Amino acid sequence: MQTLRMNSALLPELLEALKEWGRVWAPVERAPDVFSLEVIDDDVRRARPEALRTIVPFKKLLLKPRFTMLSGRTGEAPTDPLDNDAGAQVLFGVHACDVHALKILDLLYLTDYADPYYQRNREQLVVIGYGCWPDEHCFCESMDTSSVDDGFDLFLTPLEGRFLVAVGTSVGDDIVRANPNLFEAATRQDTRDYLRRLREREEAFSLEIDVTDLPYVLELKKDDPVWDELGKKCLCCGSCSMVCPTCSCFNVMDEVGPGGDSSRVRIWDACLYRDYAVVAGGHNFRADRADRVRQRYYHKQEAFVREFGMPSCVGCGRCIENCPTGINVVEVFQYVRGEL
Amino acid sequence: MKFQLPQPLKVRGAPRELATGANPYQPAPARVMRIQDLTPDVRLFELRFSDGSLARTFAWRPGQFVELSVLGVGEGPFSLPSSPTRPGILQLGIRRAGTLTNYLFDHISEGDELGIRGPLGNGFPVERFSNHDVLMIAGGLGMVPLRGLLHYLLDLRSSVGRIILLYGSRSPEQVLFRDELESLARRGDAEIVLSVDSAGGRIWNGREGVVTELLDDVELDVDRTYAVACGPPVFYEFVLEKLVDAGFGKNRIFLSLERRMECGVGKCGHCAVGYTFTCLHGPVFSYWDAINLPELIYT
Ligand SMILES: Cc1cc2nc3c(=O)[nH]c(=O)nc-3n(C[C@H](O)[C@H](O)[C@H](O)COP(=O)(O)OP(=O)(O)OC[C@H]3O[C@@H](n4cnc5c(N)ncnc54)[C@H](O)[C@@H]3O)c2cc1C
Ligand code: SF4
Ligand code: SF4
Ligand code: FES
Repeated sequence: MQTLRMNSALLPELLEALKEWGRVWAPVERAPDVFSLEVIDDDVRRARPEALRTIVPFKKLLLKPRFTMLSGRTGEAPTDPLDNDAGAQVLFGVHACDVHALKILDLLYLTDYADPYYQRNREQLVVIGYGCWPDEHCFCESMDTSSVDDGFDLFLTPLEGRFLVAVGTSVGDDIVRANPNLFEAATRQDTRDYLRRLREREEAFSLEIDVTDLPYVLELKKDDPVWDELGKKCLCCGSCSMVCPTCSCFNVMDEVGPGGDSSRVRIWDACLYRDYAVVAGGHNFRADRADRVRQRYYHKQEAFVREFGMPSCVGCGRCIENCPTGINVVEVFQYVRGEL
Repeated sequence: MKFQLPQPLKVRGAPRELATGANPYQPAPARVMRIQDLTPDVRLFELRFSDGSLARTFAWRPGQFVELSVLGVGEGPFSLPSSPTRPGILQLGIRRAGTLTNYLFDHISEGDELGIRGPLGNGFPVERFSNHDVLMIAGGLGMVPLRGLLHYLLDLRSSVGRIILLYGSRSPEQVLFRDELESLARRGDAEIVLSVDSAGGRIWNGREGVVTELLDDVELDVDRTYAVACGPPVFYEFVLEKLVDAGFGKNRIFLSLERRMECGVGKCGHCAVGYTFTCLHGPVFSYWDAINLPELIYT
């Protein structure tokens, strides 16, 4: 991997240059301390890459919350209207946990039967990472997702007055070569400062979760009363799933429009919703809230580990920040282990 | 007869395509060739892919399923009651249950076009059945996938031992494929016993009582037998433990599970149980795997 440096003052210039590679998305401040991921092409100075979490993560760039998968005349062979196709997009300000989340979505959507809706947007996505600094809700360090060495095209780590720029792919290299005025070779001082920042950042994490043997612990505790307790507290509003960068369940519904045109629509869904596991005849395989809450945690921390060798939680803290009743994933696992 | 089945899928492997197309969500058109009432609320739909080469090459494993689609109405997973050894025509045995199935019953006639995606799921581990006895136990609609397996085993008659089918229904008019099964039983190619919960005074020359009772009367060499059970959740509650009591190892008992499915290809999450996606790792599981997944059988 090639490392370069870029003067901090040149950031707007880089963002302007990135427009060549697609529409540029970045976190922007909507209200004090509330960030959302938006297209900044009209004013690149709105970019706030240091913002820790946008409410809804980047997954919306790849799969819209609602899109038409197939359409046509009712009862006839449908075609793909390309409703989800976003064209070339540049995602600026991606943190290490997000890069890991992106890799998890790739595992799910690009293995076996590749999902063409995801794939077409993914293939045109340029990923520009940004080195963040944790707050009290971040626990990526515990999830082993606090740093990355691949999965991005460029990665900018802020240092005093400059960025250390890691070039991760040949697309990243294209960007560098097209903008020789922005980048210069990194110095030994840059590397030293970068490594010091890395160490200081490790010290800065205040939230920790013990994931040792967690799948086994969960296996042993699947009938634990803690799930009933959580079931009483959780509203099953699904906020935690909507904001989670790796939660990507969806529902499919057919709609009939005026004039006999129909569409098959795909909508974000959450395993916490009451009807999620309902089958014909009305039987609900997870009618109890407790079972649905348990399903979410098991799927992330046990099921995914068994299937892919790692959990599907990257420790971004979004679900902690957005739960209306204050359910905290870290505390949940402390309970399960009997530590609280 | 030498017959080559498609290999079982390696889950979470390299990308691959469904026979019905590169977009796994896009159904391939198939024409309804024949519709036949099996019981008052179950119909057999015979379909043929409109694309001639797909119709000829579409291959599946017994126990796999397809998604049947009517744009504007919906999609649903359905098992295949026909055998891959008799390709060209695809049969589906469909019960009236809700939006999509009502539409199929009320608005679809011979000559109409429907959409099919598949084949989906893992199917029965039939390779392991060769040179063994196979005991099939069906309850209600569970006969649909087992009829596909039955035809398959009959077509490969010389490579398997005994073929035994115990099939329980609620009443005589609910028995699926009744004429066919009775005539196969007479021919002696397979040992077939039908039972109904109650004949209710109608003509019935099969047995009366629950299907588990039929098990008491079959002589089995459990060491050379595989058991395959398909039926509703209550059926499993009784049948599986009874098989274990009869001496079957839990890894020699197979069952097929029904779950809510949307995508059928391991993406939407709806069919997830424990760590498995029923649509990819299933719908066929060994009893051993099934009891080790929370919620898999009894909820
Ligand atoms: C592997 C497998 C094999 C099957 N094989 C067969 C077979 O061979 N023959 C057969 O007759 N049936 C079979 N089924 C069952 C069959 O798929 C359902 O009966 C069928 O999908 C019913 O569709 P429907 O639209 O008519 O019923 P509906 O009840 O209208 O809809 C059923 C579907 O709609 C959705 N749904 C239902 N309720 C809700 C709700 N409250 N909120 C949101 N969505 C909801 C779900 O997707 C549900 O599965 C099988 C199922 C599986 C999983
Ligand atoms: S955000 Fe909180 S209340 Fe809502 S579903 Fe998630 S855990 Fe339950
Ligand atoms: S479960 Fe919570 S902390 Fe983990 S990745 Fe999802 S939103 Fe972030
Ligand atoms: S049906 Fe969508 S994951 Fe199995």
